[in-house]
Amino acid sequence: MTVTRRTKTASNRLQGRDGLHALLFLSPTLVIFTTFVIFPVFFSFYLSFHQWNMFSSQTSFVGLANYSRMLRDPEFWTVVKNTLVYTLGTVPLNMAISLLVAFMLNQKVFGKKFLRTAFFAPVIISPVAAAVIWRWMYDPNFGLVNYMLSFAGIRGPNWLNESHSAMFALILMAVWKTMGTNMVLFSAGLQGIPETYYEAAEIDGAGAWTKFWRITVPLLSPTTFFIMVMSLISSFQAFDVVYVLTSGGPLGSTKVLVFYLYEHAFKFFEMGYASAIAYFLFITLIILTLLQIKFMKSRV
Amino acid sequence: MKKLVLCALLLGLLLQTSCGKKEEAAGDGRTVVTFWHSFVSSTVPALNELIAKFEKENPAIQIRAQYIPTGDALIQKLITSVQSKTAPDISWVHSDYLQDLVEADAIYKMDDFIAGPDGLSEAELADIYPALIQYASWRGTLYSMPMEATNLALLYNRDLFRKVGLDPDRPPQDWHELHEYAKKLTVDADGDGIFEQVGFSLPVFPATGPLGGWMVWQWLPFLWQAGGELINEEQTSVLYNSEAGVAALRLWQEIYRDLKLSSYTTDYDVAFASQRQAMALDGPWNLPRYATLLKHFDWGFAPLPQGPAKKATIIGGEYLTIFKQSKHPAEAWKFIKWIIQPENQAFWAIKSSYLPINHSVLQVPEFQSYLAAHPAFKVFVDELEYSLASRPIDFHGLEITRHVAEALEKATVGDQDPAAALNESAQKSNALLQSAAK
Repeated sequence: MTVTRRTKTASNRLQGRDGLHALLFLSPTLVIFTTFVIFPVFFSFYLSFHQWNMFSSQTSFVGLANYSRMLRDPEFWTVVKNTLVYTLGTVPLNMAISLLVAFMLNQKVFGKKFLRTAFFAPVIISPVAAAVIWRWMYDPNFGLVNYMLSFAGIRGPNWLNESHSAMFALILMAVWKTMGTNMVLFSAGLQGIPETYYEAAEIDGAGAWTKFWRITVPLLSPTTFFIMVMSLISSFQAFDVVYVLTSGGPLGSTKVLVFYLYEHAFKFFEMGYASAIAYFLFITLIILTLLQIKFMKSRV
Repeated sequence: MKKLVLCALLLGLLLQTSCGKKEEAAGDGRTVVTFWHSFVSSTVPALNELIAKFEKENPAIQIRAQYIPTGDALIQKLITSVQSKTAPDISWVHSDYLQDLVEADAIYKMDDFIAGPDGLSEAELADIYPALIQYASWRGTLYSMPMEATNLALLYNRDLFRKVGLDPDRPPQDWHELHEYAKKLTVDADGDGIFEQVGFSLPVFPATGPLGGWMVWQWLPFLWQAGGELINEEQTSVLYNSEAGVAALRLWQEIYRDLKLSSYTTDYDVAFASQRQAMALDGPWNLPRYATLLKHFDWGFAPLPQGPAKKATIIGGEYLTIFKQSKHPAEAWKFIKWIIQPENQAFWAIKSSYLPINHSVLQVPEFQSYLAAHPAFKVFVDELEYSLASRPIDFHGLEITRHVAEALEKATVGDQDPAAALNESAQKSNALLQSAAK
């Protein structure tokens, strides 16, 4: 009896101390997180109703002027349109290719591990280095892309310098760059499907296509849903690849929302306006995600 | 409990050492002046020699030069440093950023020092090219001092000129000849519609990209050559959509179209070095590189061709400002004043191939003999007489430059009507100017 009571009080005391200890050891992270994540989130909300150029120590209240300017700016709507084109281009293509690759690598293939690493490699490459490589590949005179096309008798365009091809070139590179992550997620999802279902289906005489369509796709849907939500968010936030590959050009045809935000924040120093754009993006993404949850949840 | 106290103490110590500001001192009693610059690595040896010369003549001061990336990164770093009270004593600053720095009360007026006990005489001030003084000022007040000048000239391959029967000693004199020569020097030997050699190229970049302003800077000489101006003197409306502006942009559009520059993206200097390009716009800062890079053929520089109205080229350069957070403004000024002395300007120009900022350098004997031995460099120095500075835009300079760049991109890459592109752009710029006037 006494023994149990003693351990009990000891553990209680330890718990109280543990909490303090834990807080102490977490404090560096907490300080960093509060300073660089929580504070900016609220500060930029505050800024979106103000005018501030970063230099001066005071901000001036302008009410909803930043938001109304944004909605009236024709350039803003062009940028929104570009972002939508980019998203509609990357998300489905990315998901289709990564599912295909994951599915194929889930079969018995020679060099599976090597191939999986190879497909994942672009994710790790720094976007700047990747963009430099792709700039060369897209070069009209010496580029690999046009060289390959020339075998088919096609003279490729100057990919990055023509407004109708630049967005396509950008999407292609973005898919290459981000496909690996989704492939890994799909692979995990595929491995989670019990083999018994396939065996049962085989006994019932199902072919490869039926198995894929009736078993793999439905059982993979939680993964698919997760990947879709995440890819949609990240494609709305695309910036680095755009910045290095095309700088928003030619003729502004690849200027996406975050690039537009960056320009106003760090080129023209309109922090208030940039914050308003950031909050527009934030709210749009919340709405889109909620819509996805509402319409997809029942089928997942 | 003891452990807890110990942990807290350790943590405190960690924060203390990481956040504590290091005391700046040379350790040998000399005053340290920090100097931020963005010189390319090929110029750094020359800069080190210049600083060594200064330190030898001023043993009480040590200059601590620090490289910072130029462009957007420079101004972002300056803002952060001013906010966090770690600004340098001296920094080089682009004219476009003066407005922000002045409004933030971050930099001294140069007049504070010029009128001071160790100041400059009227004659010394008048010796500096007026275009540079104009460019170094914001709303008529001098806030920075030029360290050196640069301008643009025409780089051309004399061998390729000979090959197509052009006289290498008679580079293009006017726009018409520039256009004609460019076409003549453009070669499609196998007739597949792709040029193996391009006569000339234009610095066309995405207006939204980091080189948009650089494109505008190189277009301005053409605007002036046609008799145009960027903005009116009262800064109430822009003037670049005038007839002169349209003519200058039409020339770019025609060259861009005729030479099929849309399918030509290779860097001009690489193309020039491999003799795939015959002419290019270029500045003196590349001369040290070319001396080693372009040994295998005959090349030269020529003044920019004359436009329908006049001869003109654009002046640029690096401008030094003294920050109000500096603890040693007097020493910082001493360094700046020393740099602009004619004999030091001559030393710096010879070492770096940048252009001197004052007229009287031309009287320095070493400089005269250097000019005689370096005809390519002399082209740039001779051009200084008609080099113009772009009129500083008091408000929204960066945005207006962006709008000009958009028009240039539309007329070249987009092949739109130059007048329409310029008018649309000017409308946006004028709206900005009106909002600033309110």
